[in-house]
Amino acid sequence: MTGIHHMLVHIPVGFWALAALLVLVGALGRGRPAEIAQAALLPLLILSLLGAMAAIVTGFLVWPWQANLYSPLARNHILMSLWSLGVWAMVAVLVWRAGAAAFTGARRWALVFLALLGGVLFAITGTLGGHLAGAPTAFSKILGALGWNVYTTFYVPGWVLLVLLLIGLGCAVLGVRSGRKAA
Amino acid sequence: MHDWRIPTILGGLVLAMGLAWITQGTGVIHNDPERNIYIPGQLTMPLQVKVAYNPEQIFFRYRWPADQAYVYHDMLRFADGEWIRHGNSRAGPDPDNTYEDRVTMLVDDGGVPEFARYGGYITVGANARFFTDSATPADVTAHPHLGKTLGQSDVRKHLPDTRQDISDWRTVVDADALQAQREVGYFLDLWHWRAGRSNPVGMSDDQWIGEHRHGDAGQGPYTTNWDSDAKQPLWMFDPEATGIHALRWEDIQANRVDFDAIYYLAETFAIPFDATRNWQNGDVIPRRLLREGAGSRGDIRVHGDARWRDGYWDVTLVRSRDTGKPLDDKMFRDQGSYTLGFAVHRNATGSRWHYVSHPYSLGLGRDADIQAVAFEGSEPDWSQAWFETTLFYPGQVNWPLLISRAHAGSADIAEGKPVHPRHSEEQLAHYGVEMEFNEAIIRQWWLTLAAGLFLLAGVLVGLWFSFSPTRQGDRP
Repeated sequence: MTGIHHMLVHIPVGFWALAALLVLVGALGRGRPAEIAQAALLPLLILSLLGAMAAIVTGFLVWPWQANLYSPLARNHILMSLWSLGVWAMVAVLVWRAGAAAFTGARRWALVFLALLGGVLFAITGTLGGHLAGAPTAFSKILGALGWNVYTTFYVPGWVLLVLLLIGLGCAVLGVRSGRKAA
Repeated sequence: MHDWRIPTILGGLVLAMGLAWITQGTGVIHNDPERNIYIPGQLTMPLQVKVAYNPEQIFFRYRWPADQAYVYHDMLRFADGEWIRHGNSRAGPDPDNTYEDRVTMLVDDGGVPEFARYGGYITVGANARFFTDSATPADVTAHPHLGKTLGQSDVRKHLPDTRQDISDWRTVVDADALQAQREVGYFLDLWHWRAGRSNPVGMSDDQWIGEHRHGDAGQGPYTTNWDSDAKQPLWMFDPEATGIHALRWEDIQANRVDFDAIYYLAETFAIPFDATRNWQNGDVIPRRLLREGAGSRGDIRVHGDARWRDGYWDVTLVRSRDTGKPLDDKMFRDQGSYTLGFAVHRNATGSRWHYVSHPYSLGLGRDADIQAVAFEGSEPDWSQAWFETTLFYPGQVNWPLLISRAHAGSADIAEGKPVHPRHSEEQLAHYGVEMEFNEAIIRQWWLTLAAGLFLLAGVLVGLWFSFSPTRQGDRP
């Protein structure tokens, strides 16, 4: 399964890199290139999500599940890959919902931000995958300089978990309440 | 209409991610003496090594940094009529400065093939002493071999094939098999220099590892200075020879070290303990009596003076290349290739609170990681460059874990792939620490993963209405 996983991860990595570029062109560019980028983004994102899910499923099968849980690097790889999937799934849903309007007003800045966040997360995911495959890169040194040694598990203390939940809940409530007002 | 929700929601996402980044890795790892857990402040340290040999002897020189020298070890302090022991093994540094510095070296000549690939990890079996799940003294004492035959009460280093099932320390193979293993060289030679219990008399302890950590045959460089019936020392300082009856507790607490003064008790200046003497609170007598090693256990000696100076220990040990005791020692022969594993105890720590190395090869005229330099005469000139290596805190990782399905590299181990190209010292140190809190970290990691996804879901819901395709009042 290792070889298949290594092959499949190139789909989300390549597609998400391209998707980030399309978001930038679609949100910040003008004219025909921007229109093409906007039109191509959603199909690309759908394909990337399918590829990512296949890559994640095969990734889970590379080692026994207990080995995945016991390895700090594997834990980090799983967390970052699922967070990457979450961010890009959000981008896909928002683009699907808003269509061309997703690239207008304040929405385009939201897309740009989410694309950059998704780009950082999948870069980290790929870096961790490189470590697991025995091919570490210098990118992990940058992460270390920024305060995270990738050989230690990425987890947050209990009070931060609560803050994350509250912020997530607050965002949802904010959206729902203003949505009702608009209706 | 200006949609203020988008910047607010994105601001919340930035805040949450930033907070997660800043606080990651905190809240779980902490010292916990009840679970035998103490995490050293520094997880790695350097060690320098040089090796030289003449036709008869081989010399190992070690140099490593240490903020202070710890030479006092296992002391008896007089207080209100009682002798109180200070310096038995504990989790982490000894608070009374009564635990010695040490350098140890495992040696193999090919008799233990896994050692060249995985180093000291292979000697860490299940339920080792000072692990959180260490075997109870009662269980070990009751064991027919470790307890009844060897008189032990804890599980120490041992080699995998000395057990029928390496994940069960009780399954020691029978005595005939153990003897046969030893005769074919399935044991590791252990050089064990101690700053308190061997260095003052110019000795290193000489041990070996088979189904347990054994001393070589003969007399070790120390014995116990304690009368358990009378609850007092057996020996005291000879005031005529030393000018003192006892050390003083305030000197030990201040860790005042003078290598040219008396800081240990040795046979050459000890007399039988006098209980009638007017002992004062704060008088201290070492619980260990040093003596000349003899027999196979006395093979390794300190060459010159092993001293701590200017923040570094500099220790040279010497031994006959062929001791004539093949059941206790590994012989160093011309054109021989060997595997070495080093460890250092410093900062008043004992037991498993040491720093260990990857395995390294040693060559006598052969290409190797460490080249032993041949010379004529009795004194190496040490003109060669140091072999520089990094030692790491190993935490609680044992061999049964490494060969189990819980270790992603177990298949590599089964295929004989070595550890060194795969894991750096820094990586192994962090893994070792995390393994001490594995269950708690896994739980917190799951919660972090879920909380992050919940956060993203909340952001999506928050942005949902802002991404309506027909929002009234939008300005493209």
